[in-house]
Amino acid sequence: MDIISDSIVIGLTEQAPLILAAMGFALLYRLTGLINVAYSETITLGAYMGMWLNTTFEINFYTILIPTGILAGLISVGTYFAVFRPAKLRNVGGLEMIIISFGLSVFLRHGLQFIFGYPVRFFDVPPPDTIFVLGVGVSSFRLLAVVSVFILALGLFWFIQKTSYGLQIRALANDEDLAQVSGIRPLAVTVLIWFLAGVAGGLAGAFYGVGSSVAPLLGWRQFLFILLVVLVGGAKNIGGVIIVGAITAVSLTFITLEFGQALYGQLALIVVFIIILKVRGTRAAEAGKV
Amino acid sequence: MNLDWLDAFLVYGLFSVMMVIGLALLLHLQLGLARIANFGVVGFWGLGMYAFGVMFVQVDWPFGEVWAFLISMAFGTVVAGIAGLVVGWVIADLDTDGVLVGTLGFATCVWILATTEQDLTGGALGMGGLGFPYDIGSVKANETLWLVILTIVVALILYYVSRVHKSPYGRLLIAIGDNEPLARSLGKQSFRTKLWLFAGSSAAMGLLGAMFGVMERFLDIGNLGIDITLAAIVGLVVGSTTRTWGAVVGVLLTVAIFDIVLQSYIPLPQSWYGQAIPNLREMTFGAALILILMFRPYGVLGQMRRDKLMRRMHGG
Repeated sequence: MDIISDSIVIGLTEQAPLILAAMGFALLYRLTGLINVAYSETITLGAYMGMWLNTTFEINFYTILIPTGILAGLISVGTYFAVFRPAKLRNVGGLEMIIISFGLSVFLRHGLQFIFGYPVRFFDVPPPDTIFVLGVGVSSFRLLAVVSVFILALGLFWFIQKTSYGLQIRALANDEDLAQVSGIRPLAVTVLIWFLAGVAGGLAGAFYGVGSSVAPLLGWRQFLFILLVVLVGGAKNIGGVIIVGAITAVSLTFITLEFGQALYGQLALIVVFIIILKVRGTRAAEAGKV
Repeated sequence: MNLDWLDAFLVYGLFSVMMVIGLALLLHLQLGLARIANFGVVGFWGLGMYAFGVMFVQVDWPFGEVWAFLISMAFGTVVAGIAGLVVGWVIADLDTDGVLVGTLGFATCVWILATTEQDLTGGALGMGGLGFPYDIGSVKANETLWLVILTIVVALILYYVSRVHKSPYGRLLIAIGDNEPLARSLGKQSFRTKLWLFAGSSAAMGLLGAMFGVMERFLDIGNLGIDITLAAIVGLVVGSTTRTWGAVVGVLLTVAIFDIVLQSYIPLPQSWYGQAIPNLREMTFGAALILILMFRPYGVLGQMRRDKLMRRMHGG
């Protein structure tokens, strides 16, 4: 029983950033139909920006979360205007869009190394407080990550389901042309989506960074799991993504604790998720094309 | 044989270029013709390399080294082919998103196994003990001969690709890539065609990986990063995804310029060679993918030329 409660507590607190990042990615994927490989760099950028704000201006970790999220959101919007929107206007195909996002991801990742240098970097934070949950010690940063995921999930759900902007987003995802003739401004809604996705990715990066270290491959190493969580969880509802993300987090921790090797857990999950995708077959045409 | 005139770095650089041309040609069959977006090239390449290495180094062979070498090489190729068959079966009826996940996931699995199975692969410490199946004198002579052998292998792949373009099989691949439901409705076995294409081309990627392992003489999980996949995709996209010679021209314009011309013949500050040049290389490759696909989607060579039969049929 101990190992199960340990897996739940450690898994959810350690992997909360994965769920957060997956929520942002799912939002973008549902509404644009694009597998944006460069989203992994939004996460990395969030970690670097958070670390930079924290170490340069000596701002504490909790305070840097707001500017980090906003900056990551703005950069996400910037990539939309600089790359994805022009590509869409040129009628670039779906597969080519993925390759373009792959190119952007590589460009940003190595550009970051030019700006921030090559060594692994760290946040300058005091040792976090330890809080015991079900008898398992958890750092305050990780607990904050879980709380953030919870708040953001509720916020996103409320925003998409209950607000007029959310209604516009759903309308745009279902039928862009119909949404347009109904008076919805696609550009404003699309920008909003890219911003929100960027905020979620950037915050996930900051939480990853403060929990371990900041390195150029930080986001890329998480990307496959984010993608798997979103595809298996179903991009249609954020709830599915959160549930699959949570199951992923707990399973990874359980296998790590049981077998003493985190990579085996990753291996098993990749295989299981791919089998699920195979059994479920080709994804239905559920995503809009923004 | 006196090879003093030949720079050892040039031999290694040419080997890398030739290997990426081979991979890009195989990717051309998958991505350019059948539209299978294989983002896990490094997985098949790496599996061939490690399967060869493990078989050659870990097995106590009762007969001569040449036979052990050849059997291990064949083993690496077959293992990569079987992996291609399995992954191909998984992804053949998935959409692009599923193919991306399947191939990227496979490459990650190969990296994880190479890292965790230390008894077999050496894990993060790497594995030595590999070598050429011959000794014709100096290291440089051995490497040069290996480069010649690789060139022959890549030339054979190029020949095969050009034959595919002119064959009914090639037209079938193009038809599946263009509109798979239509090809299926016309009675074409799209699933089986994609499956065998993927398995065969993955086996060849494994062979190239095994040949790279011989040249390196040391297997390192650091080789299993995304760089190889990126180089092959960039070469193909820059040249032309749809033209036979696209992979060759594209890799010469990208990998050759960076790995040979820039590093050997352009005087750059010594401090740049450590990490600045490799970073600049990857940044340029990333930017090239974006710019080419936005402004010249068919690459430098442009759109596919229809073969004589198709031109005659359509009066083109």
